Amino acid sequence: MNTLKTILTSLGLLLCLILSAQKNDTPTDLPYSNKIEVNSQALESLFLASDIISLDLSPGFRLEGKIKNKSEHGGSVTSLLIKVESRPGGMLSISRYTDPKGNIYYAGHLLKLHDQEGLMLVEKDQHYYFIETQQRFLVAE
Amino acid sequence: MKKYFIHIVCMLIFIHADISAQTPLLNSYSPASATVYLVFDGAEVDGTIWNEQGKIVAAPSGLSPASVTWIHKMISDHFKLFNLNITTDPAVYERAPVHQRTRVIFTANGNWYGPATGVSAIGSFVWGDDTPAWVFMDPLSNNPSYIAAAATHQIGHTLGLQHQSVYDSYGSMITELSGGETNIFSNQAPLMGIPFYKQADWKNGHPSTGAQNVQSDTASIAGAPNYIGYRKNSEDAVSADNTVKIERQDPNYLSLISSGDYSFRLFDISGRLLTQGMLKPGFNEIRASTASTGVYVLQWSGGFGSASQKIIH
Repeated sequence: MNTLKTILTSLGLLLCLILSAQKNDTPTDLPYSNKIEVNSQALESLFLASDIISLDLSPGFRLEGKIKNKSEHGGSVTSLLIKVESRPGGMLSISRYTDPKGNIYYAGHLLKLHDQEGLMLVEKDQHYYFIETQQRFLVAE
Repeated sequence: MKKYFIHIVCMLIFIHADISAQTPLLNSYSPASATVYLVFDGAEVDGTIWNEQGKIVAAPSGLSPASVTWIHKMISDHFKLFNLNITTDPAVYERAPVHQRTRVIFTANGNWYGPATGVSAIGSFVWGDDTPAWVFMDPLSNNPSYIAAAATHQIGHTLGLQHQSVYDSYGSMITELSGGETNIFSNQAPLMGIPFYKQADWKNGHPSTGAQNVQSDTASIAGAPNYIGYRKNSEDAVSADNTVKIERQDPNYLSLISSGDYSFRLFDISGRLLTQGMLKPGFNEIRASTASTGVYVLQWSGGFGSASQKIIH
């Protein structure tokens, strides 16, 4: 009887852990079909590139493109606009923000106007994800 | 001499025309640092998600100073609950914090984009990269009322709002853009739906992201990640029909009488959510441990959409 209790308790705990892990793993409130984790070093290297971009943002997510524009805003934000050749017609707009304490954050979008789907870069618990979602949740008329 | 005289007259006419065409410099609430800049004089845009085809040169709106003033007033009225300045002054925009500002460009058409009355990137108010929102005036028949409604709608998007949508009882979307109440006696429509043909206002409702979600327009604008908050001076602000400012005299609790069953949310003046729950008909006490005496904002809703009955403090 005690063994059965132990098994059931363990199963219950396991279920709770799985559910809790799933909840913590959700990077955004938006409904999304796919998410790709990228590391911040890869994002930082975008800002160090001079013209041509060719790098793996994560295993299976290679970014090939060309920087079309680089701009500074108010001393704390640097923005890049990258024409993405590995996703024809797509543009990656990404910004790096440095807060007054020197912490660095990234935000961005990979879109092609009028496409059904787009990618949004979101941060959750110091991890960065590109989530694939319907573009009408990112750009609206 | 006659030649010089003609030159002087021509110059005076030119200077007069230039002055009369200048956009008036208007501010709806100067104490606020968070800023929305209405751009009527044309703009060059580059380096944003709109620039797939390269630089965009937007022609000036061509609106008269009187129309600009009227449009500014209409838009400002929709935002007078919030600690947010609607300006036509580029210098005010330049001084605003980069993560609390956006600009709306009013121009004849969006040929670079396609047929639409406007377009914006949701949440771009906090992006810090000066991504603008757009209002295309030709499809709005250059009607100042429509232009102001379209601009307010686009500003709502930049502040993170999705469309207010209509769903059936099974949660399937009927229409993405709510046109307002179907009741023929109602003349109300959500600003984040179709705001052109009825009296439009911010609403609590189900956004385009799904019937299971509830979007409170005012709470979303005031709170994270915009952190705009509400205006402290309640004399200046007219509340939305389901939002009231309250003066909390007792540090332990807030007491109020409700006319029905409503879900409620209590915010501090900066837009931070303090507590939420349900109100029952009659006497209620709301406790929020982190709150002291001062001015707070109470927002409530009942069932679908916003409540029409008032809560009496």
